Amino acid sequence: MNTSGFERGSQKEFRIHVMPTKRFKTFAISLYAGVPLQEETVTKVALTPFVLRRGTQSYPETTEFREQLEHLYGAGFGFDVYKRGDYQIVQFRMDTINDSFVGGDEQLLDRSFAFLGEVLTRPALEDGHFRTAYVQSERETVRKQLESVVNDKMRYAAERSIEEMCKNEPYRLHPLGKRQDLPGIEPDALTTAYQTWLQQASMDLYVVGDTTLEEVESLVQKHFDVNRTHSSNYVTNQAVRGDKEVETVVERLNVNQGKLNMGLRTSITYGDPQYAAALMYNGILGGYPHSKLFVNVREKESLAYYASSRYDGHKGIATIQSGIEIPNYEKAVTIIKQQLDEMKNGNISDLEMSQTKAMIRNLLKEMQDSAFEMIAYDFNRQLSGKERTADELLTQVEQISKENVREAAEQFRLDTIYFLRDEKGE
Amino acid sequence: MESIHYEHLQETLYHEVMDNGLHVYVLPKPGFQKTFATFATKYGSVDNHFQVEGQKEVKVPDGIAHFLEHKMFEEPTGDIFATFASNGASANAFTSFDQTVYLFSATEHVNENIQTLVNFVQNPYFTDQNVDKEKGIIAQEINMYADNPDWRVYFGLIEAMYQKHPVHIDIAGTVESIGTITKETLYTCYNAFYHPSNMLLFVVGGVEPQEVMDMVRSNQAEKNYEPQGEIKRIFEEEPAGVVEARREARLAVSLPKCLFGFKETDVGFTGQDLLRRDMTTKLMLDLLFGSSTALFQKLYDEDLISDSFGHEYISSPQYAFSVVGGDTKDPDLLLARIREEVDAIVKKGFEASDFERARKKKIGGYLRMLNSPENIAHEFTREQFRGGDFFNMVPIYESITLEEVNRRLEEHIRWEQLAVSLVVSP
Repeated sequence: MNTSGFERGSQKEFRIHVMPTKRFKTFAISLYAGVPLQEETVTKVALTPFVLRRGTQSYPETTEFREQLEHLYGAGFGFDVYKRGDYQIVQFRMDTINDSFVGGDEQLLDRSFAFLGEVLTRPALEDGHFRTAYVQSERETVRKQLESVVNDKMRYAAERSIEEMCKNEPYRLHPLGKRQDLPGIEPDALTTAYQTWLQQASMDLYVVGDTTLEEVESLVQKHFDVNRTHSSNYVTNQAVRGDKEVETVVERLNVNQGKLNMGLRTSITYGDPQYAAALMYNGILGGYPHSKLFVNVREKESLAYYASSRYDGHKGIATIQSGIEIPNYEKAVTIIKQQLDEMKNGNISDLEMSQTKAMIRNLLKEMQDSAFEMIAYDFNRQLSGKERTADELLTQVEQISKENVREAAEQFRLDTIYFLRDEKGE
Repeated sequence: MESIHYEHLQETLYHEVMDNGLHVYVLPKPGFQKTFATFATKYGSVDNHFQVEGQKEVKVPDGIAHFLEHKMFEEPTGDIFATFASNGASANAFTSFDQTVYLFSATEHVNENIQTLVNFVQNPYFTDQNVDKEKGIIAQEINMYADNPDWRVYFGLIEAMYQKHPVHIDIAGTVESIGTITKETLYTCYNAFYHPSNMLLFVVGGVEPQEVMDMVRSNQAEKNYEPQGEIKRIFEEEPAGVVEARREARLAVSLPKCLFGFKETDVGFTGQDLLRRDMTTKLMLDLLFGSSTALFQKLYDEDLISDSFGHEYISSPQYAFSVVGGDTKDPDLLLARIREEVDAIVKKGFEASDFERARKKKIGGYLRMLNSPENIAHEFTREQFRGGDFFNMVPIYESITLEEVNRRLEEHIRWEQLAVSLVVSP
């Protein structure tokens, strides 16, 4: 596959990407709306989809709204709010059965677009603004979700370490915003923020399934009740590796297991020529069960059940996470730092190279079996401005040498060590 | 090799029983890059007391099926993850109440990877030293779950319901119970449950069925398995009633977690009867507690539940229970309100129109699941071990009647069979 497989068009300043295929039993629809991550707008933008999913002009009551989805053979409908680089992305997804499997011509794609168009552009209103009851109740929902992060200690430690590491930049913000903003967000202000968001966000609409670009364009024309007048593109900020001292943060909570999270910064981002080398760096360090972290922290020392690394090419950050016995903190830090040094010194075996390449190859190929994964991969292109198909990336990965990985390793620098531990002891 | 065609799903399944009793199924997915394979044994955490025909009765330590799963990955030549990685396969395994599943997904070297999967599971290698090392890793896994409030509230509910049946024992066991595991006890369990006649290999993806069958047939022929007698699984009689009506655990949470459920008294169903009952009950629970119901919306508006409120139904020939709930600020009020509202619904029964919509939603959900090779493999294997046919679920959904669902509602909602599990902050 030398091209991405997506046909591109646009309608009402929505960029439209369609992959016509009969391979799946459903139509996969994904809408990405991105705005810069900003202190002043983050909470309102996060709250918006929560209110939009309560009701529309045709189905103002939430039960009616949800019943409508069930009429569409229980079409999957969901949304997510997350960070990509310095952007806050709201993603709506629909997954609707292809009519041919439910016997007949139900026009499920048309009806799905009618539904999505309503959600996005024709919300239930009263006195010209969102229904007060919906705004109040969804403020509570967002508050509860923000507060519930502490329940999952793995996730809590991951989010806290990023917050500490990025405390002087917008990336410290939680994608769902700030709890203290919520009580002050009134229905009229939120409605105004929504209208601005609808006009100004970067919009990318994806469809994978048995359809065509022309059909999707006409569906957007027909069902999206908005006149967007200007297009906006994503702009990537240059990531910096930095040179500050490693900062250590210890936090105490009532836990059995300690969570050790480390954050690294890198100047290599998604659009960078060294991106493939950075993927290899992460894969050899901690992406897989054959990686240095798993083998040394878990298999050799029995220190942990999980020990891995992740690389975020949009932000230029890598993270390491492990769950350990609390008294083993020093030992675990030492072993992990040794692995980072091994990477910098280029102590990488041929086997590690070939295994990691095989795993990345597998990942990039198997993406093509999932409509939503193909969509997510292609969206990277919109975000970064870097056009690179999965096949091209694969070719680049194949050509990476140990020396390339070592060079990439020089561009990763340990920034923050975060340890979540119990309340006992010193 | 036999082939079974499912016209309404546009799928064809291939099946062969090997001479040693191993069942092999292949579902070709033309156009798919990936092949996903599972090699499963009908052996899970509940099988802690058993007798193989002609041998003596054995009782084994809690958590041993899961421990065995971990240890299978170790071969005399090292860690099997490395072998998979060299062939670009991503491998994993999991243990549930009633099965242990080993799996991989790969886009290349598919034949080698299938052989690796079958060979490593059929080649146990336990030593005093490697068994001992694993105890540290699993202890960290147990600690990780101990800090997880969702797991604690879920298991708390099962503990509140079941007294004798081993379903109430944590799948991983305890740090103490796994401490008593030796290589001898592992071999005892392995020899009893990993005989091919107790196992199922499922391969789905871009493969040629005949080729897979031929390869597996010659692989198995080389291994000279002796026929094995029947495995008697011994369960003490479980009292009909719950152990305790309410159970509470203390753990730092942002809001109390509250799960409740009804323990069925009428069990013993198998095969298609079990499947039909399972599907009917799930449909009933969705009509009662689903997110499009009036009850859900009322409780949401009263700020007693959040999006986390969900429901499921767990069943086997020996145990069956519902699990309902989520986060709530006031568990007592929530339970009181649910009792009030549910009683009113039980009196009236469900409406025909709601039933039809819920049925449509279930059919749609099932078809969407068929996009995922992973889900197909897991659900098919699980049903096969229970004697049900996963690919015949649409006709069952179509034949379920409103009367049947209403009857299930009356049977299932019996307040004397209710158990409640809470996790609240200390």
